[in-house]
Amino acid sequence: MFQLTATPASALADEPVHIRVTGLPPLQLVTLTASLKDEKGNVFRSKAFYKTNEVGELDLMKAPAFGGDYVGVHPMGLFWSLKCQKAFRRLLKQDVMNSPFWVTLNLYDTVGLQDFSTEEPIASQVVQRWFSAPGVQRVQVREGRVRGALFLPPGEGPFPGVIDLFGGRGGLVEFRASLLAAHGLAVLALAYFAYEDLPELLQEIDLEYFEEAANLLLAHPKVQTPGIGVISVSKGAEIGLAMACFLKQVVATVCINGSTAICEFPLRYKDLVIAPIPTFMERLQFDISGAVRLLHYRGDPRDKVNQRSVLPVEKAQGSILFIVGENDECSKSREYAEQALHQLQNHGRNNGRMLVYPGAGHLIEPPYAPLCYASPNLKLSSPLLWGGEPTAHATAQEHSWGEILKFFRQHLIQARSKL
Amino acid sequence: MIQLTATPASALVDEPVHIRATGLSPFQVVILQASLADEKGNLFHSQAYYKANEAGEVDLQQAPSLGGDYIGVHPMGLFWSLKPEKFLMKLVKKDVVNSPFLVQIKLYDSNLQLTDIATTAPKVSLTLERWYVAPGVKRIQVREGPLRGTLFLPPGEGRFPGIIDLFGGIGGLIEYRASLLASHGFVSLALAYFNYEDLPAQPEKTELDYFEEAVNFLLRHPKVLGPGIGIVSISKGAEIGLSMAIHLKQVTATVLINGPNFILGIPQVYHGQISKPLALSPQSLSINALGLAEFQHSFEEARREASETSLLPIEKAHGHFLFIVGEDDKNLNSKVYAEQATQQLSRYGKNNWTLLSYPGAGHLLEPPYSPLCCASEISSLHLSIHWGGEVTPHAAAQEHSWKEIQKFLRKHLVPVVTSQL
Repeated sequence: MFQLTATPASALADEPVHIRVTGLPPLQLVTLTASLKDEKGNVFRSKAFYKTNEVGELDLMKAPAFGGDYVGVHPMGLFWSLKCQKAFRRLLKQDVMNSPFWVTLNLYDTVGLQDFSTEEPIASQVVQRWFSAPGVQRVQVREGRVRGALFLPPGEGPFPGVIDLFGGRGGLVEFRASLLAAHGLAVLALAYFAYEDLPELLQEIDLEYFEEAANLLLAHPKVQTPGIGVISVSKGAEIGLAMACFLKQVVATVCINGSTAICEFPLRYKDLVIAPIPTFMERLQFDISGAVRLLHYRGDPRDKVNQRSVLPVEKAQGSILFIVGENDECSKSREYAEQALHQLQNHGRNNGRMLVYPGAGHLIEPPYAPLCYASPNLKLSSPLLWGGEPTAHATAQEHSWGEILKFFRQHLIQARSKL
Repeated sequence: MIQLTATPASALVDEPVHIRATGLSPFQVVILQASLADEKGNLFHSQAYYKANEAGEVDLQQAPSLGGDYIGVHPMGLFWSLKPEKFLMKLVKKDVVNSPFLVQIKLYDSNLQLTDIATTAPKVSLTLERWYVAPGVKRIQVREGPLRGTLFLPPGEGRFPGIIDLFGGIGGLIEYRASLLASHGFVSLALAYFNYEDLPAQPEKTELDYFEEAVNFLLRHPKVLGPGIGIVSISKGAEIGLSMAIHLKQVTATVLINGPNFILGIPQVYHGQISKPLALSPQSLSINALGLAEFQHSFEEARREASETSLLPIEKAHGHFLFIVGEDDKNLNSKVYAEQATQQLSRYGKNNWTLLSYPGAGHLLEPPYSPLCCASEISSLHLSIHWGGEVTPHAAAQEHSWKEIQKFLRKHLVPVVTSQL
């Protein structure tokens, strides 16, 4: 009697699942597939071909996939290699509190080129992937100008506070904030354009808005004082770095694949206006898939004429962690981070650090999130190319998440004796 | 007064076009776009950004593209970087004789947002004709005995070197390469072998006797030079081309583009003798980041377990070989197969081969300026097959290999006339 097990059956989306098969004939080729339907009805699928061992067992923590969506030993490969039937769809959980993603794992006792979704599996398991933990609270924020959602861990607190910023997509993206709250941080997922009564288009970065959000977070009774962290990606990381430079309330900043100079629109903070580095539309490139590569589109922050746009990282009082994907097709992330670290060195500071991930692309997300190769953009009719090689990108997501949590624990949690 | 010129306005599809814009402001940045509709109305587009020089001119033979579908100096970039509106649609000319592809070249001010181009008139535009036959080439449908195909005759009196043109696993009858070779002075037989007219839809074996009859048919033709003929073959067609060269003395020059050095999938039969194929291991199929299926490792298991007798005995061939390899082939492990075949020849003391290996080129190496088709949908299998190739090096490989193919065929099919004092 064969069995397919996947444990835990219900877990946080950033926790690994142990998939095993027993009771099959020895050295049998099998196909494992995963599928999920997102909240918009888009179906994502993945598959891999395995061989059972001499006792007819298969343990994904030990056995290599021969082919399919990934090759080699990757216990979570079926999750991070999920692909949408429709091109350029990003898997993004909207309702992070009330429902999980349900992932159906199917086992077939053949291998082949056929579309397995129309065949009857010999075994099936459904696992739940949650973006929040029991006891995490979600509070809609609409105070002053600030718009977003605050996620509080269970318990009295106080908890270290973090502001979570996404990028040029706009709107409010909550899943990373809710996951961080499940790990004991009080996280404000902060929107800054294309959400509720915020401006529809991003035309300038008004740093006082972000300062208002930081102060709002610090004023919450369940949030530790006096300093907060920021986790930020893409355009959000440019803002995150600006916050680190100018706001003393920000003591720990994670910048994922962001620019270290102001680009496209100016930044305003009180009397200070930082003009952006110019962009060059003629340097847009189109990839074979038709997606747009923005990689060469911005001016060079190392150019003398652009120095006034470079963020004064030496003014940052807290610690900065740069997370860089070397295969980023959108942003010259490594060059930017290296320039910022060089600038810190020149001023005798050592509060910055960089983690560089070969093969990883622009959208480095929490672990097991499928690689999004390109996705639609509000402004252009073509999708934007993010880059990344699937296996390396998955490894980067797994590793960087651990580093991010360590970084926040190190710099935000006040020294406390623990028995 | 902005002017756009492109010469020649009407030419063979494998001939370059010189595109120039004059009358611009000095250092003005412009967008050049090309568009084409195929015979079914599917649209293909490409674009590039150029900066005029101090005299307000852009000459594509000298100016680099700054961005768009390609970058750098590529006079024909607008042609080979054409992309379909419908993802993965391949550009194929069906009627190669009666009409050209019409390519529109348009110039826009770069101040336009990309989204506005669809609704804005270009500053200036022109239309080019791209033909698959030269004037005077004759097209003759072939239905002789079991043979099914199309014969293309070069214009003019006298005899010409003859070639058989074989495409791959897609089947049907593909004429555009044969018609172009005829335009360059070869009698070319585009030969179908399955999924066409009364040929089998899904053959269970490859009958080499059929191809032998095609060779004899060609040699019998009054306009064919002889005594030998050539083969231009790709992919599965190259497995057949290689086998023909091995068994048939009349095959004196064989071009093998991204082919295997073993029998793929179904057995071969020749004069009643059956040769077994190597089996594909479906578990070795790899799916890339875009969801495209890559088969280049799917014969590794069979090859590991096989002996040399499972490889085609290339040392038995009498003629010459030109191996053309796209190193980025994601469908067949072409580089490995070609290298193994040439090593086998060397071991038998034979040096009747040339290998041209192109980094960055994919499986579907076509005549010059053909847009890269990186993958095709196979609806019966619910998957899309990744052919591989990066746009710019693939285009360079097509341009270079096409000239080499013609040189190779002429060298081995046209006897050198030496004057003797």
